Amino acid sequence: MEGNILDAMRYVGAGLAMIGAAGAGVGIGLSVQGALTGMARNPDTYGNLLTNMILGIAFSEAIAIYCLVIAFLMLFKVV
Amino acid sequence: MEQPKERHWRRWIVLALMIIGPILILGVGGIFKPAPIPISVAPEKILEEPIVPNFLGTGPLYLTNTLTTLIVTLILLIILAYSTSRSLKRSQNTDLVPRGVGNAMEAILEMIYNLTEGSAGQKWVRAIFPWFATILVYVLFANLLRLIPGFETIGVIHHVEEGAAGSALQPIAGHWYWVTAEPGEGLLVGFFRGLSVDMNFTLALALISVVMTQIIGVRAQGGGYWSKYFNTRRMFKVPFFGAMDFLVGLLEIISELSKILSFTFRLFGNMFAGVVLVAIVVSLLGFITIVPAMLMLFELFVGLIQAFVFGMLTMVFMAQATQGHGEEHAEAH
Repeated sequence: MEGNILDAMRYVGAGLAMIGAAGAGVGIGLSVQGALTGMARNPDTYGNLLTNMILGIAFSEAIAIYCLVIAFLMLFKVV
Repeated sequence: MEQPKERHWRRWIVLALMIIGPILILGVGGIFKPAPIPISVAPEKILEEPIVPNFLGTGPLYLTNTLTTLIVTLILLIILAYSTSRSLKRSQNTDLVPRGVGNAMEAILEMIYNLTEGSAGQKWVRAIFPWFATILVYVLFANLLRLIPGFETIGVIHHVEEGAAGSALQPIAGHWYWVTAEPGEGLLVGFFRGLSVDMNFTLALALISVVMTQIIGVRAQGGGYWSKYFNTRRMFKVPFFGAMDFLVGLLEIISELSKILSFTFRLFGNMFAGVVLVAIVVSLLGFITIVPAMLMLFELFVGLIQAFVFGMLTMVFMAQATQGHGEEHAEAH
């Protein structure tokens, strides 16, 4: 057991930062669920729903990406 | 029947590559063992000395590996644009049937045009479409170019810094070396690096996108566009709710600024996460080379989606800026 406590805390912080990805996962799941329900009810709207679904996924995915960027910044000692 | 016979050999080349690839990496005990990729958030410098000591008074300009990629990408895009216009011109002169590059680009751009028309309406489609199309094609090229074999893995060797991990070198001939999987003191800096794995590139695109959204908004609504941010419309009629509207308008400024941030980090984070994912999987499962190869396939998908999302969001924000919701609200009452 030896090493730098600062390095250890970097890894802990990176792990904690990725908790936020859970919310993005829920968000993506919900938006895909909504789009699929809509497609099942009305298959004609497939193309329109798909575009908007991808847009919504991108929005919720961005939250997970923020977490990821923060985690990377800690891991690679940028800040 | 018009299909000439001699074009069939292309299929055999593809089939041969599909067989040779697994043999090279799996079958013969690993001729090419994947070496760990050095990860850095900032682009690496190919030359240690700056090529321009003081670039326009902003500081030294280094020859980084995203700079070389940028130049190559721009040259490819210019070639693409030129060959598209030539192909379309040729088809215009003959039988009006687009073929080859012109046909492919027409299919992509027509899809983008219809999407824009559906979102922004007939009036503003010609103003918004070029931004969507340019960003999509540009980011698509930037994302997909790094999937070319050797793109990030051929480069110059630098000496590794103290305490950082490097790899051992194995001489081939002359000044050429393999970078092996064993730890050593060589650090590979590729000649090229994925363009969107550089935050400067994504920040520049995000700034262009957000600033042009404001300009298109002003073109559509005139000076009334700024009342979205400094909302004094109801200030004197209903003082309390008017003041609240003003504060909400100020929050719009923050949301506009956070768009820059989210555009930047979405593209950068997705592509950088791909690099890190491949690097980690190589260091864990490098001996089963099909796994990183499959991840590169996933990267293809991510690059496509992110290019589409970047362009699509730009288009949606611009379409929103052309429609002032305040005026419609006032007319309804």
